[in-house]
Amino acid sequence: MTPKRILKYSYYPGCSLHASASEYDQSTRELFKVLNIGLTEVPDWICCGATPAHNVDELLSLSLCAKNLELAEKVDGDLAVACAACFSRLKFTQHTLEENDVKRKQVEKAINAPVKLDNRVKHLLEILARDLGLERLAAAVKKPLKGLKVACYYGCLLTRPPDVPNLDCVEAPTIMEDVLHAVGAETVAWSHRMECCGANFTLSRPGVVIQLSNAILESAKAAGADCFMVACPLCHGNLDIRQKEIEGVYNTSYGMPVFYITQLVGMACGLSSEKLGLGAMIVNPMPLLKEKHLI
Amino acid sequence: MPVKKKKMLLSAETMDIDFVRKVEALSGTSVRRCFQCGKCSAGCPMATFMEHPPNRVVRLLQLGQWQRILAGRSIWYCASCETCSTRCPNKVHLASIMDALRKLSWDAEGPSKESYVQLANKLFLQNIRTYGRQYEMRLAAVFNVKSGQFLKDLMLGPKLITKGKLKMFHKKNKNMTEIEQIFSRIEEMRRNGEAP
Repeated sequence: MTPKRILKYSYYPGCSLHASASEYDQSTRELFKVLNIGLTEVPDWICCGATPAHNVDELLSLSLCAKNLELAEKVDGDLAVACAACFSRLKFTQHTLEENDVKRKQVEKAINAPVKLDNRVKHLLEILARDLGLERLAAAVKKPLKGLKVACYYGCLLTRPPDVPNLDCVEAPTIMEDVLHAVGAETVAWSHRMECCGANFTLSRPGVVIQLSNAILESAKAAGADCFMVACPLCHGNLDIRQKEIEGVYNTSYGMPVFYITQLVGMACGLSSEKLGLGAMIVNPMPLLKEKHLI
Repeated sequence: MPVKKKKMLLSAETMDIDFVRKVEALSGTSVRRCFQCGKCSAGCPMATFMEHPPNRVVRLLQLGQWQRILAGRSIWYCASCETCSTRCPNKVHLASIMDALRKLSWDAEGPSKESYVQLANKLFLQNIRTYGRQYEMRLAAVFNVKSGQFLKDLMLGPKLITKGKLKMFHKKNKNMTEIEQIFSRIEEMRRNGEAP
């Protein structure tokens, strides 16, 4: 066995994890506790600006993220990020400020502080698969997710932008599958694993989301998946919260629960459904989990 | 959506290359590298919603016809998924070009056909300035009121509240002064011409 290293991180949950994705936040904290990984929330973190900020104002987007990186320096350890969109923005900012002196100076002026970039921005997947390692993760499994066929949905932002050092291959990542195999689940090969779900059009143009998310649900169902695993609160909202609406529009039935990574891994590590916040999911996962004898 | 066929006249008068240079400077990418292979449009999840698909946006920029782009909805229907930038064989960072076009259109309060996406963006940024973080309930409620769609997604509301997914109350960040200063410093830098 590999010698035990003490892992600890500062934690940037992001706005959604304090509201519509509170089960992602809850299951992350519970899972990290079980795995003995330290997690300290960044004090007074602010919104990363997400898509709307960089859409119309790059300097604002970089400054908001840089401010968060500065706040994160107050806590020991690399910065663990749960939301794929926050992750993409924070990582992009870190990379841009390292490479581009002009932008760095502008940002330093805007936040009125020197930019510190020592702590790396890491997604939870990276922490589970690399820092902790698949072997140690597999060793922590108490109840392998045998027989569960999962469609790993990466969405668009987890491995992008392409020119920033990524957590995995930009076109054919396998990090989600690797993590799931380590905890005993099966994964399916399917076409729409990196297609966009419509993301924040859920507010302004829900029709777009219904069309794009339907294609994703259809593709996963056709590939024989029982459920989804996602790493992004927006993907989750579009596939889970809007699933019933999509079924109505296309006169079909999917009934596919959408889990966060930490919920599935947590389940394998023996955490109860209350601790994982399974009750907050709109598409009820209990019938599927009972059928597979996982609860 | 059928596009009205308009004759495109190319001349020194209709080709505004200064604007295109601005786009290139802001986005840090060159539109001249594009050879119109169309890979961006083939992979774009939103291309069906746009009157000018991504490769045509670049073509119009190459020809200095930026007014046609800003007058339409294409730039506001880009989801920023970055599939185009990822797959471009010539390293044209189209997602950044879209950002630059939106910024220029936003700053000029340009005549776009798409107002809902702009409204959503505006409310999102206002929320950061007022509260420091997003509060989805507030964002959705204010969006519905301001866009006049009072009943939009109303059926989702009760379910989300019982599942604890919408927080009825929220408080401001403790560091609101610092956040406000970021916004005002950026505005000041722009007034002084120190930032784009």
